[in-house]
Amino acid sequence: MTRVIEVPAHLDDRSFDQFAAGFGTWPPEERLLVDARGAQWASPYGLIGMLTAGQALAEAKRERPLLTVPASDEVKRYWARAGFFRHAAELFELHGRVPKAAVTGPSDVLLDVTPVRATEDVHEVVEKISQGASRILHGELGLEMKATLRFSMALSEACQNIVEHAGTSGWVAVQAYTFRRRLGRRVVVIAVSDAGIGFRRSLESTHAKRFGERWGDGAALEAALVQGVSRFRDPGRGQGLAFIKRFLDQWQGKISIRSGTARLAIVPPWDEDVPLSDHLPFFPGAQVQIIIPAQDAEPR
Amino acid sequence: MIQTIRIGHLLRETVTTPYRNLVTRPTGAAVRDRIQQTLACSDCLTAFLDFSDIELLDLSCADEIVAKLLLADAPPARFVVLRGLREDQHEAIEHVLTHHRLAVAAVPQGDGGPRLLGWVTSDARSAFACICDRGPMGTGELAHTLGWSEPRAAEAADALALHRLVRPDGALYHPLPIA
Repeated sequence: MTRVIEVPAHLDDRSFDQFAAGFGTWPPEERLLVDARGAQWASPYGLIGMLTAGQALAEAKRERPLLTVPASDEVKRYWARAGFFRHAAELFELHGRVPKAAVTGPSDVLLDVTPVRATEDVHEVVEKISQGASRILHGELGLEMKATLRFSMALSEACQNIVEHAGTSGWVAVQAYTFRRRLGRRVVVIAVSDAGIGFRRSLESTHAKRFGERWGDGAALEAALVQGVSRFRDPGRGQGLAFIKRFLDQWQGKISIRSGTARLAIVPPWDEDVPLSDHLPFFPGAQVQIIIPAQDAEPR
Repeated sequence: MIQTIRIGHLLRETVTTPYRNLVTRPTGAAVRDRIQQTLACSDCLTAFLDFSDIELLDLSCADEIVAKLLLADAPPARFVVLRGLREDQHEAIEHVLTHHRLAVAAVPQGDGGPRLLGWVTSDARSAFACICDRGPMGTGELAHTLGWSEPRAAEAADALALHRLVRPDGALYHPLPIA
């Protein structure tokens, strides 16, 4: 028997829960068909979230899932240019014609879908992003030049979380696009996802006792993002997320982290998201999204 | 005697790539090891850590290189001073040192006196600026110059000495030996 998981027409951090709900109990026993035929758009978060599902199924030694590619040629081309199909082909049995990726990606793909497996990959990601980040952040979004380096630092710290905490590999993608529905401005979005052990299991041995019965995915996210704790006893750990929060606060940015059955966000004034969503459909690992919006014309 | 350690040079030797970005903890730890090896073979009084070849310094590397170097048992007579930092690099180092309640001096490229990065009391910061500006002085002169009581000046100067941000010699506190 095959379980069909429909990819929402607009797959982003909000609709991701609908996608996650399709898997039921994790890992699903049945063979899966991820049906993206109706997809009209996917954020970087959505794209690497699908890859994470494929990776988690492979690591759970489940039968290779099927993925039907979007019907829209435009959507297919965009996903191809973002590097999605290149990696999806290794994790899914693809059905439907996949266009060849352009030699050079579109200007709004700052970093195409990139696997993060080891420390060397973080070096590679930071190196690749440095040129395009300056053009987009300073040139298009109106952030100060120094924001480019902070952005790269945030990206580096977010990717390192995979290497240090996930216990497996993950994915990163960075894109700029116009955030029409919620903001009406250009944004740069960093998405990082892994299929690893998640925040709760990563922090459980060192921090669960302190939380008592409250311990769970939500409490673990709160401990990491709000309190800056780490599973390492090294007192220097846990500063990465604190720095990212400070950086985002200055630029009215947003960070949200989904892990297991919870999602925690630091919500800027322009967004209406809730800070903590609990009891969500389970999804393996951790998914991080960082959004930096174009700045107002007046200097901040 | 002053020794300059070029961090960009150590980075290239450590990761065997042409990258100028100091990112990730393993990279930072490896670079710190190389710094410690260099210092172990040196009898310099002051070590300049020169970051001028570095593009990006992330928090993990700032923590591994600078904070952990200061936390390590360094020879008590040695002073570590940073050089060639850009503003964003200042920010990363300031962030991690404040977290550990540590401080280090950084000298700007070209002219200009040393600046403190990290966590010290405001009194210690004022005392540091005064000693750097006016040269060696005892706690009496420091107190007089800043309009403080002598115990207050002594407390600030001792805190700087503890962090190796001034050089105590008898009753005097000298500016960092960086010239």
